[in-house]
Amino acid sequence: MSELNKLYKKAVLAHNKNPHNYGKPETWTHHAEGLNAICGDLVEVYLTIADDRLVAVNFAGESCAIAMASASMMTELSTGLTLQDWQNRFNLFKQLMDPNNEQVSYDELGEVNTLITVKKFPSRIKSATLCWYAVDAAIKGQSSTTTE
Amino acid sequence: MMRHEFPGLQQQVHGKPLVYLDNAATAQRPQAVLDAINNYYLKHNANIHRGVHSLSESATELYEQARNSLARLINAPSEKDLIFVRGCTEGVNLVAQTFVRSRVKAGDEILISHLEHHSNIVPWQILCEQTGAKLKVIPMNQQGELVLDDLDQLLNERTKFMSVVHVSNALGTINPVKKLIAAAHAKDIPVLIDGAQATPHIKVDVQDLDCDFYTVSGHKMYGPTGSGILYGKSEHLSAMPPYHGGGEMISKVTFESTVYNAVPAKFEAGTPNIAGGIGLGAAAEFMMTVGMDKIAERDQVLKVYAEQALSEVPGLRLVGTATNKSPVFSFVIDGIHAHDIGTIIDHHGVAIRTGHHCTMPIFQFYGLAGSCRASLAFYNTEQEVDVLVESLLKAKAMFQ
Ligand SMILES: Cc1ncc(COP(=O)(O)O)c(C=O)c1O
Repeated sequence: MSELNKLYKKAVLAHNKNPHNYGKPETWTHHAEGLNAICGDLVEVYLTIADDRLVAVNFAGESCAIAMASASMMTELSTGLTLQDWQNRFNLFKQLMDPNNEQVSYDELGEVNTLITVKKFPSRIKSATLCWYAVDAAIKGQSSTTTE
Repeated sequence: MMRHEFPGLQQQVHGKPLVYLDNAATAQRPQAVLDAINNYYLKHNANIHRGVHSLSESATELYEQARNSLARLINAPSEKDLIFVRGCTEGVNLVAQTFVRSRVKAGDEILISHLEHHSNIVPWQILCEQTGAKLKVIPMNQQGELVLDDLDQLLNERTKFMSVVHVSNALGTINPVKKLIAAAHAKDIPVLIDGAQATPHIKVDVQDLDCDFYTVSGHKMYGPTGSGILYGKSEHLSAMPPYHGGGEMISKVTFESTVYNAVPAKFEAGTPNIAGGIGLGAAAEFMMTVGMDKIAERDQVLKVYAEQALSEVPGLRLVGTATNKSPVFSFVIDGIHAHDIGTIIDHHGVAIRTGHHCTMPIFQFYGLAGSCRASLAFYNTEQEVDVLVESLLKAKAMFQ
């Protein structure tokens, strides 16, 4: 399989086409916008946090397939986690996307590991990480962030 | 045309022949430009305008010859009307701060157009912030052409300056700048034309246009990065205060006062980008040898071919369809984000740009976050356009 086909593997294309937890929910407690204006990626995250736990994680916005799939997978993985556990996953995801790191998967990241090939496309890493930084910003009470 | 002269075109990307269609971002450089830069560093490496030794003299001569080549390219009355700058961005900022700033007060207006590159918007916003002046905008239509119906009101007694792009980098629209300049001059309003995307494609004659200032970007016209020209009418340049202070721009310095050098030295403080200027001169000579008429003609043939070829890609929508345009194609494809298209076709060797192309207001007008942009130069071929189209079809197939 070519690097390109590994980047746009079936799971990524499927999440892009039918993203999970997509759409602005009726209620939420925390919200932040992740915007990479230069490449035109917008991911809005809506969180419901109760007792230091991510009860619901939704997202909206328009972006490239990598950012869409990453957000779709991230929301699935994050729903139900405590904030502490989410931070651990965030740190692991940053390591997964680190071009100098040779480890190719982390058990805690589940399907998110399918994004591993993104790190071979340096200009696309920022697309994959955008939704994670947006959740991090929302948790911290910030209204917007960027990974450009 | 002349492909063999451009070594950068003779390479492979991801195992495929490079199809370079990102010329509006920066063009490839011909061997003549690379040789001119090399020749300076190898044989004439010295500072200019300050030594009596042979190398300094020959370096100065090469640099001043380059200025002369550029003056001929744009038909300036004299090479003394040309200031070497880093690019169009610096040219616009220089004019805003040294020519326009002293002419505007709170409530005055600066007129630009909806098609401007950020580099012809932000310097004016800074000026407006400094002076309390207002920025006014000539509107555009769906085709990506300027709407001139209200020009008469937009050019009013409060208008102190107009700055308009000659050719849009995002849409390729060639603006009727001669007409705009005449309309502004009828009301004594001076005009700057941003020529970044014009000089690589069409014959520019600053005397015929009668513009007050004209900016040229070296790296867009097959010259080195960090090089460029600001042309200004001599009466303006001699009346303007300097932009940067330092060496070279003075004729006498004491601690009490300084006497400035004559134009253009007055605006060229410090050691300039000597190799860049010489390389840019070589680019101008190269283009004049090929012939601007031939370049413009070839561009139009490519434009017609590419327009037709792209229109046959199902689901592709061209953004900007002006009647008079250069071979620049902004487009979007249903169901695939520009960023994904850019990555996928790069793997087929095709280099395009994706995003807002430093013209966010244009994409706000269209309600888009950005586009794919294929921008062609005279050295591109019909076969390369075919490769672009095939690679777009492959991208579509992948996203089925
Ligand atoms: C229309 C236009 N104006 C100005 C600029 C800025 O030119 P430079 O890179 O020479 O500063 C560009 C380059 O992107 C451009 O396309």
